Amino acid sequence: MRKFKSLTILILVGALILSACGGLGQSQPVTMRVGWSGSPDTLNPGAAVLSEAYTIFGLVFDTMYQLQLDGSFKLSLAESVSVSDDGLVYTYKIRDGVTFHDGQPLTAEDVVFTYYLYQNTDGYPWMGDYTYYFENMEATANNEVVITLSEPIPNIDAQLVFLYVLPKHVWENEDPVEFENTAMIGSGPFKVVEYQPEEFVHLARNDEYFGEVPKIDELIFQSFGSQDALVQAIKTGQVDMIYELPNTAVATLEEDPNIQVVTGAPFAPGVTDIIMNQVTPENCPPDDGLCTGHPALLDRNVRLALAHATDKQKIIDVVLLGLGTPGTALLPDGLGIWYNSSIQDYAYDLDKAKQILDDAGYADTNSDGVREMPDGSRTLTFRINWDSDNIDPPRIAELLSEMWGPLGVKLEAQALDSDTLTSVCCPAFDFDIIIWGWGSDPDPNLLLSVMTTDEIPTGSSETGYSNSEYDALYYEQAAELDLERRKEIVWQMQQIVFDDVVYIIPYYAQNVQAYRSDRFTGFVLDQPKVELSDITSLAYVEPVR
Amino acid sequence: MSHYRYLLRKIGWSAFTIVFVILLNFFLFRILPGDPARSLTKDPRMKQDAVEALRVRFGLDKPIINCFDSFTPVRIGSCSVNPLETQFFIYVKNLFQGEFGISYKTNRPVSDILVERLWNTILLIGAGQILSIIIGVVFGVFAAWKARTSIDYGALLTGLMAWSLPTFWLGIILLFWGSNNGLPIGGKSTPGASTYPLLFQIGDIAEHMLLPTLTYTIVFMGEYMLVMRSSLMDVLSEDYILTAKAKGLSTFQILKDHALKNAMLPIVTIIAINLGFTVAGAIQIESVFSWPGLGGAIFEAVESRDYPLLQGTFLLIAISVVLANLIADLTYSYLDPRVQSE
Repeated sequence: MRKFKSLTILILVGALILSACGGLGQSQPVTMRVGWSGSPDTLNPGAAVLSEAYTIFGLVFDTMYQLQLDGSFKLSLAESVSVSDDGLVYTYKIRDGVTFHDGQPLTAEDVVFTYYLYQNTDGYPWMGDYTYYFENMEATANNEVVITLSEPIPNIDAQLVFLYVLPKHVWENEDPVEFENTAMIGSGPFKVVEYQPEEFVHLARNDEYFGEVPKIDELIFQSFGSQDALVQAIKTGQVDMIYELPNTAVATLEEDPNIQVVTGAPFAPGVTDIIMNQVTPENCPPDDGLCTGHPALLDRNVRLALAHATDKQKIIDVVLLGLGTPGTALLPDGLGIWYNSSIQDYAYDLDKAKQILDDAGYADTNSDGVREMPDGSRTLTFRINWDSDNIDPPRIAELLSEMWGPLGVKLEAQALDSDTLTSVCCPAFDFDIIIWGWGSDPDPNLLLSVMTTDEIPTGSSETGYSNSEYDALYYEQAAELDLERRKEIVWQMQQIVFDDVVYIIPYYAQNVQAYRSDRFTGFVLDQPKVELSDITSLAYVEPVR
Repeated sequence: MSHYRYLLRKIGWSAFTIVFVILLNFFLFRILPGDPARSLTKDPRMKQDAVEALRVRFGLDKPIINCFDSFTPVRIGSCSVNPLETQFFIYVKNLFQGEFGISYKTNRPVSDILVERLWNTILLIGAGQILSIIIGVVFGVFAAWKARTSIDYGALLTGLMAWSLPTFWLGIILLFWGSNNGLPIGGKSTPGASTYPLLFQIGDIAEHMLLPTLTYTIVFMGEYMLVMRSSLMDVLSEDYILTAKAKGLSTFQILKDHALKNAMLPIVTIIAINLGFTVAGAIQIESVFSWPGLGGAIFEAVESRDYPLLQGTFLLIAISVVLANLIADLTYSYLDPRVQSE
């Protein structure tokens, strides 16, 4: 054993000497190291899906608009925009003197080329949606882009914010899907130094940047195999910021005087939803629909009773260790002005819930602890499913089982792999209750569309909810160019689906991140949203002197 | 003569196994439930046109084999399909050209990923194997030589403990210990190190290798030590060892010239088997220490349902296990010619 120990020490000493030798004589740029447990799937902005990739794109590329931490949009690459009276023609004036990282100028040609590339490439998962309304794009001058829409839309900013402008001279000769784009020539505040897939992305400041030039010299995103390793890495100072951490680590990190933990609404808002199958026989999709949902869930009284019997704060405390906000409607609080903050949530009140079911005729006639339908045909026993890849739903299901049990409702819980879950969900409607979630665009349109009748056969509608008043308001807001008026409609729609108890929303999870406060300062923390790795915060970060 | 026949038979069986693995590997990933085009979209809410485009891009629009469109549900397709246009034929053809398909997650050719990852794995696991073999064998010999003394019992206990430690747990413990002592706990090099002098780069990689290699060495040295110890103790109880002692040879000479050669046979077997699995990397060690090797790739591929990458790694592992076994057989027959006659 002693021999073994001395061998270890020998190796240790050897390695330390070697690394110490190499470290001498290097000038020290200010480098911030960010740890995350994922990595970009690809650096090709059209083909990418994972949020890690979008985080890097946001630092390396420019877009017409920049999303701010309060959820609003600010012109970025464009210095001005004018819109025609009919809302169909947008004319953007591109800033003068913008150059790509390889020194070539960025012109209106590049912008138009990029938008057409995104629109015309079938292999791109999202870009087709963002360019859907673009009928024609034209570079009318060296610095002027004219976009003509097929119909007026209220949210062109939300369409353009993910359309990263690419250099035509690099991309025109490449296969748009297969191009790996490892050099990633953009025009944003950071440029790529080195990229090792699944290992790290090494960025350096772009001194030529037209906007707020970052204060730090270099920025490194390093992948770690687990969140435990991430927490250990920030504790021991191997990284300066972590992009994500398990909520269980918050308490220990908060004790460390050198580490600042930050929480808040995420930059990319998300929602966890309890989906109740409400598709009626007449709305059952003719081709794919099985529609085996429990008939009791078609009754608003039952859904309302379930909502009253759900202790959301307890779910948040157990599942998220308190790091979440109780939800009301499908639109999360991270959507800023679009989120209807005036809705009063259903109080957690078991007696009231019981009363509602009693009044509606759902009684436990055989005293086995489970209520029956008014006609006695079935018990209130619901199947509840979730995606087995997710770690939170099993705990939510268990809590729901505990909370709804005293109400006289029984749950049969089963995790399903995501393919199977998709196939029972929609448009098959072969389920009773599903715990799932959504990530949202900064614009509310997508999440609002999910509850329309038109989306029942497409598979986007998970609940099968159908309300003609809601549908009409949906199409009204989708064409409403006045921001205030659109906001009113969107708030009204949320009130309608809340009153109809279309979903039970247990929570909107908060973003949880941490940084070394002994080394860096200047992160923007006083805004409604928190995202340490976004340029709106990173640009102001500087080392502690 | 029989030597060549033995050789041929072994090589023949290995080739047969590899062909079988290629077949199994193809069908295994197509019997899996779920629509592969759906899993590669990563988002169930993707539009149908986009799904179709992906299907075409990954060749999933073609029938799997002649007469069959799909296995889920089993459906008889058109038998008039050109067999050269089936997924199976294209798969086999691409394999012979060194093409393993395109990773669903990263859009990169699987063969590129495998090559990158393979070297990292060989580096890490190679170092771990060499260290654990040396330490295990030396301690095993020492324990057998001092059999039934407190040294032996101490070594036995250590060996058993090391062998039965859960790899993942040991890795986490060493990760905590190492990071508190200033050792890097993630990746194979410091980002940005590629611009530094060569000596520094080597030192940097060595430093990153330290913890995972240590974990690997501890886990594997126990096995080698125990096998070496019991094998050598068997040999040392043989009559010819007694004869050697009677001739007045020193303990060192007895061990070196008479005992060790015979005692090494079981060790060769487990080394060969372990070497085959080396290519699989140590999934747990690589994921604890974020080592960019094949084991880590398997872990990530399972997480993201990256079937082409999984398929590629499975094939690579299968081939290396078969080859390692072949080498073991051949070495064994060299060390102990009696096995050829079996």
